[in-house]
Amino acid sequence: MVELMLPKADRPTKGKTWPKPANAGKLREYHIYRYDPDQNANPRIDTYFVDLDACGPMILDGLLWIKNNVDPTLTLRRSCREGICGSCSMNINGLNTLACTKGMDDSSGPIKIYPLPHMPVVKDLVPDLTTFYAQHRAIEPWLKTTSPTPAKEWTQSVPQRAKLDGLYECILCACCSTSCPSYWWNGERYLGPAALLQAYRWLIDSRDETTSERLDNLEDPFKLYRCHTIMNCAKVCPKGLNPAKAIAEIKKMLVERKAA
Amino acid sequence: MHDDKISRQTIADPRSRYGNAKASTRHFITQRLTGVSNIVFLLLLLFVVVRLAGEDRAEMVATIGSAWIGLPLALLLGIVTIHMRNGMRDILEDYFRGSAYGLYMTLNTLFCLFIAVAGIGAILKLVFWG
Repeated sequence: MVELMLPKADRPTKGKTWPKPANAGKLREYHIYRYDPDQNANPRIDTYFVDLDACGPMILDGLLWIKNNVDPTLTLRRSCREGICGSCSMNINGLNTLACTKGMDDSSGPIKIYPLPHMPVVKDLVPDLTTFYAQHRAIEPWLKTTSPTPAKEWTQSVPQRAKLDGLYECILCACCSTSCPSYWWNGERYLGPAALLQAYRWLIDSRDETTSERLDNLEDPFKLYRCHTIMNCAKVCPKGLNPAKAIAEIKKMLVERKAA
Repeated sequence: MHDDKISRQTIADPRSRYGNAKASTRHFITQRLTGVSNIVFLLLLLFVVVRLAGEDRAEMVATIGSAWIGLPLALLLGIVTIHMRNGMRDILEDYFRGSAYGLYMTLNTLFCLFIAVAGIGAILKLVFWG
């Protein structure tokens, strides 16, 4: 449901300003959302100063420098550090993106970092993605066939495989879904851009033989038709994909099926 | 429309539905078709408005009372109200649940129906009875 204001207990307050590192050269200011469920307190925004001479150029480098040198309690997800795993997705200066591929020099002034919007927060910059993964599971992201399994493998021509370009690259970082106002308002019913992009990826896979069943499962005023082509998903996708186009293609398939 | 309690199980179940599945695509098609036809008909409306600017009532009655102008205008009003109802349905689905949704959707339907009946009735009166 629509929530235009955060509940009082969830509104961030001004937090601690951590001391500047001694003998530091060039500094960069970080404002970071902090929330600890074990403390009975509102979230707060802490201020840190990162020594740019002592860490790498990416925002994730700065966060890890803070965790290693200033405040080990800062909690965040990260793994590959090269935009493949999607773990370090967060809201940086108002835009959902991956901290590992976003450079500190992409913006000026303090870097403001929040967890992905409108998701329950586990701690600090870690959102609870249980619903997001359940939605991905709901579109049945695997090959479904009815004909006998071939002796060797399910083959696919080069043009058929090319149709999956721009779809298979999704790393499920949740940047798109959590930037979508429709997903904010109806996050438990609307599948969201990430799941629908994956749904389309399986719909147009030439090897899949359950297109009609997949379309049946998507034909719903909430699961699919909450997309109002706002396009935030395409704007923020760190892999440059276009979930809105994939959703439009699914709608087109449903219309063509209805008209046939 | 259902208003089931949503759980992780219902999300993960591809068979779970939160509304009239078949109607959802029909609403989508209707919304697009009426949207496109509105563009065409609105050009006619624009032409009529510009042509009648500054004219007296008798001239207006004569123009809208012409079957060539009045009947397409009545059709326009019908299409616009269908488009209006569907557009508002989308918004209501976004923002309301359960009985509140049902109430507002009923009010939406009644309002659109009132506009259609009153508007089309007035135009047809001019066309057929002057």
